[in-house]
Amino acid sequence: MLQLRNIHKSYADKVVLDGIDMDIRDGEIVSILGPSGCGKTTLLNIILGLTECDAGRIIFNDKDVTEVPMEDRKFNIVFQDYGLFPNLNAYDNITYGLKNRPGLSSKAEVDELIELLDLKDHLNKKIDQLSGGQKQRVALARTLVMKPEVLLLDEPLSALDGVIKESIKERIRTIARKYQLTTIIVTHDPEEALTLSDRVLIINDGRISQYGKPDEIIMTPQNEFVRKFILHQLEIKRNNILELFGGEGVASLGFQKG
Amino acid sequence: MGALKKNVEIKFIVAALMVLFAAFLAVPMVIMAIQSFYGEKGFTTGFYSQILSSRGFGTSVVNSLAVSMGSAVLTTVLAFILAYTVNYTTVCRFGKRFIRIIALVPMFLPTITYGFAIIYAFGRQGLITRLLGGRQLFDIYGASGLMIGYIIYTLPISFVLINNTMGYIDKKFLVVSRVLGDNAPRSFMTAVIRPLSGTLTASVMQCFALSFTDYGIPNAVGGRVHVIATVLYDQMLGALPDFNTGSVVAVIMLLPSVASILLLAFIGRYNIRYKNVTEIENRKNRVRDISWGTASAVISLLVIGIFATVFIVPVVVSWPYRLDLTLDHFRKVFADSELSGIYWNSLFVAAVTAAAGTLVVYGSALATARSRISGVCRQTIDSVSLVTNTIPGMVLGIAYLMTFTGTSLQNTFVLIIICNIIHFYSTPYLMMKSSLEKLDETWENTAKLMGDSWIKTLIRVVTPNAVSTLAEVFSYYFINAMVTISAVIFIVGPDTMVLTTKIKELEHYMQFDDIFVLSLLILFTNLAVKCMVEIITRKERKK
Repeated sequence: MLQLRNIHKSYADKVVLDGIDMDIRDGEIVSILGPSGCGKTTLLNIILGLTECDAGRIIFNDKDVTEVPMEDRKFNIVFQDYGLFPNLNAYDNITYGLKNRPGLSSKAEVDELIELLDLKDHLNKKIDQLSGGQKQRVALARTLVMKPEVLLLDEPLSALDGVIKESIKERIRTIARKYQLTTIIVTHDPEEALTLSDRVLIINDGRISQYGKPDEIIMTPQNEFVRKFILHQLEIKRNNILELFGGEGVASLGFQKG
Repeated sequence: MGALKKNVEIKFIVAALMVLFAAFLAVPMVIMAIQSFYGEKGFTTGFYSQILSSRGFGTSVVNSLAVSMGSAVLTTVLAFILAYTVNYTTVCRFGKRFIRIIALVPMFLPTITYGFAIIYAFGRQGLITRLLGGRQLFDIYGASGLMIGYIIYTLPISFVLINNTMGYIDKKFLVVSRVLGDNAPRSFMTAVIRPLSGTLTASVMQCFALSFTDYGIPNAVGGRVHVIATVLYDQMLGALPDFNTGSVVAVIMLLPSVASILLLAFIGRYNIRYKNVTEIENRKNRVRDISWGTASAVISLLVIGIFATVFIVPVVVSWPYRLDLTLDHFRKVFADSELSGIYWNSLFVAAVTAAAGTLVVYGSALATARSRISGVCRQTIDSVSLVTNTIPGMVLGIAYLMTFTGTSLQNTFVLIIICNIIHFYSTPYLMMKSSLEKLDETWENTAKLMGDSWIKTLIRVVTPNAVSTLAEVFSYYFINAMVTISAVIFIVGPDTMVLTTKIKELEHYMQFDDIFVLSLLILFTNLAVKCMVEIITRKERKK
């Protein structure tokens, strides 16, 4: 279990995070959702260990890891632009960490990941030759090879379009279930957050606005912010889509009549 | 908290750089400044009044300012014509390539050679004079000779600046301007000249600073027109060397150069950057193509005409009296163990300058572009880059002469190499920095999470992705070390002669055949290095 206790962070005079408290259970997918500038990426970097918090504790499996350096925390991240190394091909990217920790993942385990993420045909390709979705899968594989105890994903879907987005979502879910992997995702998109995760943490102005399961957020939004900025967006989307399908329904009915 | 590990390696690199800059930039410059005020009788402004009131000094300064400014403006106009032809016309591909090469060739030769080439082209027995039936176009000794020399010298840098910016200007401006009803001259102004104005000014300032401080050209064709560079040389290495008055002249030479470079940095802030440049086909327009193409052809032919002498003179028995082809001059130079030894000296100095310089620049750029060092360190490195751009080679050389004479570094290759690294630091540093800034900023952290140390990431990820820029930095340092004379002339010793300083010596004995043979050696060596780098960068781009 990962516990954040009263996390504070400010830059110069600006308070970015103001007392964040949350528990994340093992194997759970949690999204951190909020508008840009709300502090969600800072929170992710603090969990990762890239950014130091001004006050508060991070406790992982009953051990205080606040002072543990990033590379010793056994957490790992896929950054927004994937951070793949263009001088290496896809396979060398995936196995990059094994050069430092030989045997951390066995050959069979690596092959399984490649299979799971459907990367078999792309292993010898240069990074520039991969599509956005393929890059994201390579980056995921590269991180998973390191067997992280917590997986962090920074806006994993924002650069992908339509159908690819859904397939990556599916894969993230599969991996989290299969490896019982605690996964924390930062996103600005309510639809993404609510359809992908077990629980969603909504942040506004550095404070927790609401933390709960997707249906709780939909059914019982706790404040004006959640109602206005999160639910309202989804309602517009729902209405747009219903209208589209409604129109089509009528049209096809008319066609049958004729 | 301090729980997160700080980057020890970068701190070490920054510390080493600070020591280098302090010992070989700050200290020599301060010592030189002190020398200009401090004589046997203590602190005095007497040296300044002595120089300022000396006969002819005022004229030399005015000559320098006027000729350098005039040639800077002319160079910029000519470079603009070449760059415009390359970017905005539909002149054939071969023609554009030809222009690009011609505009860059002067870079590969020392300025001292241009001077002699001008004499052999436009002099009484010169190649171009003879082609024109023996009529000399103008007196080459004096302002016009200087002007031509400066123009050729600064044409490459001006062309590179303008050509780069033109590449960034959105060509759709032209279309938009025409669609909105502008006539041709007006749309030329709005879509080409206005976006270029910053670069054109920058080009004038940069060319001015280079010409103002060059020694090679006035040494050859200055004649009776004295300029500040020749005055400075005479003060330091003439019949009666005087360190005090010499440093006064050096300080005075520094001023316009500092002013122009500061102005340049100031303008730089207002430069417009256009991102996402879309390629657009230039419209067909025969009149435009023919006029710009002809102008560019004339400029190119003049450059070729001048440099042709460098190729022709050493392969004939005795220009202009016996024009039979011969390789004797080459044989003589290669047989002369002293001359061939000097060639190896030059090659050694250039190669080590390039290798060590690339390391210094890489370390600096890693510190400022890819680490979280303190703002003070970052600003120090950035200002060193600005400062080295303002200090003329001659001034740096004189400062070294004053600082290191009597130390174990005097007349050593080490000193020459360090001098070159500092002298040419600015451009390669900026190249390296901007290239490293473009690389994904998350790489170091991503790699660290996969168990890399900083050094490992540097070797496995950052360096492989910076190879082409590293190669360009290497060739920049190499070529400049091969052609420079202004700084090294003050610090070479009898055993550490390089080709350019030897050329200066040969001039004394009027051995122009040898001078041109050595110049060709420099040219071909530089071209070889440039080609190698080109191959490396192309290969990288293909990957």
